[in-house]
Amino acid sequence: MKLWKKLSVVTVTILSAATLVSGAAVICRSMEYNQKKTAESGEQQLKSTAYAVSKDLENGILQGYSGVTKNSYIHFVMRKYDASKFILIENNRVVCNMTPFELVNPEDERWSGTEVNSLIQNRGGQYILISGKKVPSAGNVEYKLVLVQDISELYGDIRKQVYFSLIFVLSASLVSVFFIFLLTKRILRPLQELQKAAKEISGGNLKRRADVHTRDEIGAMAGAFNSMADRIEDQVTELSQVSEKRRQMLGSLTHELKTPMTSIIGYSDTLLNVNLKKEQQERALWHIYKECRRLERLSSKLMSLMGLYDNDSICMEEVSMQELFEQVVSLEEYHLKEKKIRLEYSCSMGTRRIDRDLFESLLINLIDNAIKASEEGAVISLMGQDNVITVRDQGCGIPADEIKRVTEAFYMVDKARSRKAGGCGLGLALCSMIAQLHGADLLIESEVGKGTSVTIAL
Amino acid sequence: MKTNDFIKATAKILVIEDDASISELICMNLEAAGYKTTAIMDGDAAEAFLRQTGREEIALALVDVMLPGKDGFSLMEDLQKAEIPVIYLTAKDDVISKVHGLKAGAEDYIVKPFEVLELLVRMEKVLKRTGRARTRIQVRDVIIDLKEHSVTKGGEKVSLKPMEYELLVTLASSKNVAFSREELLNRIWGCDYMGETRTVDVHIGQLRKKLDFYDVIRTISKTGYRLEDLD
Repeated sequence: MKLWKKLSVVTVTILSAATLVSGAAVICRSMEYNQKKTAESGEQQLKSTAYAVSKDLENGILQGYSGVTKNSYIHFVMRKYDASKFILIENNRVVCNMTPFELVNPEDERWSGTEVNSLIQNRGGQYILISGKKVPSAGNVEYKLVLVQDISELYGDIRKQVYFSLIFVLSASLVSVFFIFLLTKRILRPLQELQKAAKEISGGNLKRRADVHTRDEIGAMAGAFNSMADRIEDQVTELSQVSEKRRQMLGSLTHELKTPMTSIIGYSDTLLNVNLKKEQQERALWHIYKECRRLERLSSKLMSLMGLYDNDSICMEEVSMQELFEQVVSLEEYHLKEKKIRLEYSCSMGTRRIDRDLFESLLINLIDNAIKASEEGAVISLMGQDNVITVRDQGCGIPADEIKRVTEAFYMVDKARSRKAGGCGLGLALCSMIAQLHGADLLIESEVGKGTSVTIAL
Repeated sequence: MKTNDFIKATAKILVIEDDASISELICMNLEAAGYKTTAIMDGDAAEAFLRQTGREEIALALVDVMLPGKDGFSLMEDLQKAEIPVIYLTAKDDVISKVHGLKAGAEDYIVKPFEVLELLVRMEKVLKRTGRARTRIQVRDVIIDLKEHSVTKGGEKVSLKPMEYELLVTLASSKNVAFSREELLNRIWGCDYMGETRTVDVHIGQLRKKLDFYDVIRTISKTGYRLEDLD
């Protein structure tokens, strides 16, 4: 059952029950009151009539009269006081009864008191009020006066009242049911919107927000819901961006693997199946060896890149930059001599908190790149001043529109040239990753034909 | 036999591929199989080569799609002008570039890495289709005339049964390349031939006997047979 229906039904039920109970109570009260009033008025009547009758019958006025005369006198007296209501009892014997009722037990002691005694009798749907009292001081004869009154009308009135109030309660309930349904539905409508939004979001529409602006708890909940949705959308977008990057990287990796693989498979297949001259066989073997070395370089670079992604074994320590530079330069000496390139370096940085091995590999990568870009006899400079390290060459440079992309894994500006120099497109990706781990940025400035400078701002 | 005639009959293949080791691999195989090759490493050089007048005749071009300079697809126009059929070689195995290449007028498409035999078979098919197939194959003193379906050894005619002839042609047109027995069975007797690989052994035996090819048709352990003839 829907919440708005539940709320409506509960409200309507309680409301109707309350109305019914209070209605019943009011009716009961008014009935009691009416009864009391009727009884009281009967009592008054009885009292005054009894007093009047006693005056008429006092002083033994009837003594000595014959039965018939006596009877006529009594009937005459009673007629004076609305005889159709009263019964007169003399010494437990009914002497005058002009009411339509028959008194069953005239000896009843209830009516012998000086106070009025009343009771209501139900005789086959007819309600009768019977009150009686002793007629005061009528000599030695005991008279009792009994008032018999049909009060069925009173009950009829009450029945009518009950009937009317039932109709009233019922119609009021119907109207209130209508309004309560309408209002609760209206109040709870934002919940439906919230549910719809949640359903659509879980269905994949991450842009969907709950359009609820009420100032109640539902509005607050919708606000919380929307900020949750914002967060989810952000995270999903971020995740898909990461996975897209990974996918691209995997694509490049596959391509990078496929080229040497094609060579290796081709040459080994040729060696196995094709009759080659001795020198061709040697060429084939040399190619296989060379391509395997390329794969090995690729995998070790990849391993270090992966290591940087996942590893937390980065060990920061105070390192003398002067010593680090000297170390790097001595490692590059062989390369430099081979291409007859001069490396100038200066350092005035003192010590810095860095990971020694990673930083060394960062500098070596940058210098290797500079060597690859440079012609024979060129000069490369490695400068460390304040918080900035710069590697500058006078080599071939990078086209302006490609500078942004050179730090992407597997991106190569000139594939043929890069391959020939043994590159695999991971060097700068590795460098920028290491720089990031040190909280630094890799700034690359370059002009085609003039050279490149890479700056690390610690 | 006139040597001139033979050289003309030998198809020259243009290999346009930027990766030096793959280019060398292809040339190495084609030369072993009896083709002559010319290797070009980039698109612009290929364009210049195709436009130069009085250049040597080319029977077929193997073109890598990803080339420095002019790419493989853009070279198509020049290749078509020079009436050279094209087989594209590429690492890309996506359908779109395949369709693009074939629509542009390529005869075939081979995805790297490929097997030597597959390359040779596809090349042979294209050469046949474009009427550029070799008309003669020479193995030592044996000359196979593909037009007349005749075989001579030292000038004297050798009579071969049809299946023996087919087997000899198959082995000789991919010289120095090993064939497995199943492959030979498939290509010569057809896929639905219910024979055993023994059939191949019997026919090889006949060829060796009739042509005195005991040391030319070599049995390669675990593979099959190879007709060996290095220049």
